[in-house]
Amino acid sequence: MEQVSLSKQKKIFRKLNKLRIALTKETGIEFSSCPTESLAVCNVGLANGLTKELLFEHFSKQGTLTNINLLPGKSYCFVSYLTIESAAKANEAFNGKLNIAQDNKPIYMLYVPKIPLVDNNDIWHELPPGLIVLKDYITSSEEKNLLDMHNFTNQIDGNMKHRLVKHYGYEFRYDINNVDKDKPLNEKIPSQCDFLWERLSNERPEFKHFKPDQLTINFYSPGHGSSIVMDFKNGDKHICVLLPQRSLLIMSGESRYDWNHGIVPRKFDVIKDPASGTYSCLKRGVRVSLTFRKILQGICDCVYTDKCDSFKSRGQIVENNVAAKLEKLHVHQVYENIADHFSDTRHKPWPNVLEFIQSFETGSVLIDAGCGNGKYLGRQDLYDIGFDYSAGLINICKNRGHEVCVGDCLNIPIKDNSADGILSIAVIHHLANKNRRLEALKEIVRVLRIGGKALIYVWAKDQLKGQEKSSYIKQDRKNRKSLYTQAASVSYETETVNLLDGTVSFPVHTNRTQFKTQDVLVPWKLKDENKTTFLRFYHVFENNELELLCNSLNNVKILKSYYDQGNMCIILEKINN
Amino acid sequence: MKLLTHNMLTSKCVKGVNVGYPLTINASDVRVADVDFNPDFISRLIPKIDWPVLYNAAESLGHVEDLPKETPVNYENNEEFLKKAHRALLEVEVVHGELVCPESGRKFPINNGIPNMLLNEDEV
Repeated sequence: MEQVSLSKQKKIFRKLNKLRIALTKETGIEFSSCPTESLAVCNVGLANGLTKELLFEHFSKQGTLTNINLLPGKSYCFVSYLTIESAAKANEAFNGKLNIAQDNKPIYMLYVPKIPLVDNNDIWHELPPGLIVLKDYITSSEEKNLLDMHNFTNQIDGNMKHRLVKHYGYEFRYDINNVDKDKPLNEKIPSQCDFLWERLSNERPEFKHFKPDQLTINFYSPGHGSSIVMDFKNGDKHICVLLPQRSLLIMSGESRYDWNHGIVPRKFDVIKDPASGTYSCLKRGVRVSLTFRKILQGICDCVYTDKCDSFKSRGQIVENNVAAKLEKLHVHQVYENIADHFSDTRHKPWPNVLEFIQSFETGSVLIDAGCGNGKYLGRQDLYDIGFDYSAGLINICKNRGHEVCVGDCLNIPIKDNSADGILSIAVIHHLANKNRRLEALKEIVRVLRIGGKALIYVWAKDQLKGQEKSSYIKQDRKNRKSLYTQAASVSYETETVNLLDGTVSFPVHTNRTQFKTQDVLVPWKLKDENKTTFLRFYHVFENNELELLCNSLNNVKILKSYYDQGNMCIILEKINN
Repeated sequence: MKLLTHNMLTSKCVKGVNVGYPLTINASDVRVADVDFNPDFISRLIPKIDWPVLYNAAESLGHVEDLPKETPVNYENNEEFLKKAHRALLEVEVVHGELVCPESGRKFPINNGIPNMLLNEDEV
């Protein structure tokens, strides 16, 4: 027996020696030959599936722990005790004996003078900005009333997996992490909850306007007792927040919108007391959480654009093939469908466009790149050719005697350096990403001869520039009186478009109002019996956006840049090839 | 499609095509329409066009008549020449047929006088 023990000791010694060399090489860490408060567990860590909970379960038996340090991707870890005696006890009890390493092999430990500073990022002593925990927010009897609102017990049967859920106001869909705004539930938030908001209004007046319209009750199994640790993550920052039973957690501002939060399913939480720096363990049990939400109606204008799901879907299409699909569905096909009606509404030329056309001398070649129904074609002493993507509109032009072809402003079918003038009136705003808008400009410049001029009109986001309403807004009679009032009160719908890599939703613009976002769908209502509505995609331009786009071309100069009736306009000249 | 338009059209946007000019015309229906003659307009247009391309296009349609192969000197005052140019440039129209890319052979249909120059996504 003595010999076995001796050989085992030798084995441990050899093993430890190997591990010491390997760890020193990897981490540069120092080891101590005499006992200290801290132990390095040399052969198991997060990389082998070790958990803080399992470490705690065993090591807490030997004394009060002050640190458990598991590093991501590493097959070693560290524990610290309040006293050297506890560490020595743990060393004696576990070294080469506790079978929690990979494949249930024993762990091997060495004393370290101190735990390396490469701390794990778990933070216990602060809260993410905007997060508020109000402890003992409700009494035991109030807790009971809330729990009695919905009885989950008759749903608890063999097939209960993770949790049971009950929704009020709207269903919170965990598959899309959102609600269907268009499908409110009949069952609203029960009035038993109202006292919560009266209390909140007294205790925290800044939240007095919070009136939730959505509630989800989650019922988690099993056991009893219900405090929990919630994890907040932002980048590599990880904050652990203890949520005691009967507390109110308010997620606002950054904590709500810029941090990911979640509760990891596990049987117990290892909790660090920020004051003493020591660890303790909390066994998880039945937990019922009530999550109250206020559903945002309209467009989200939060500043947390990285994680905002509405911002992601607010246009900003980057991929060319996705942009092309969007243009096909919501520009090209729409114009084919509305060509006749559209043409009936487009007869009055804009004076500043006419002035540009009239500036050309007899015998000039003028291309109308996106000529629509040809309202700018037909000056007798010019040779003007129009093209448009819409065959329907081009037929109308042809029937009016204009010289036209069907063509694409991204691939103008006309040879280089051949036009004295080019019109691009209300065309480029139909292109769905910046790259394509720039390509369209490059095509115009390619076709212009040196010294030739192009006039570009795009729809402006600001329809009220210079405190004067554009003719577009004025066309709605009720807008003629109140200048700005309507802009603020417009409600927004959104429309989801199926594109190549999934769906993107865009706000649907309310006609004759200010634009709230740059990428929008603008309705066109036919005057047929059904009032069929088509949605055209527009990218409306910010004040200097068209100028910036033109300035990124190095062979043009901007002759004039102006705002005309809700449009951003530029006249540019080609200065070289 | 007038031959002046043909004088400007190119298929250079087709993937792999460098110049794409001039496009070959295969016409099945060609008409000659009356257009008011403006000598000043025509004489200012002539320097902007590729004359041999116009000549070959007119010839391929059987409408070259007595159009000269090259522009004469001092054509600005040569009304007889300007009338011939006027006819070729503005009065001869291809109503049905097709345009063919000289490099790729890609065909662009002409219907009702309208060439369709759109390309498919995989062609650009």
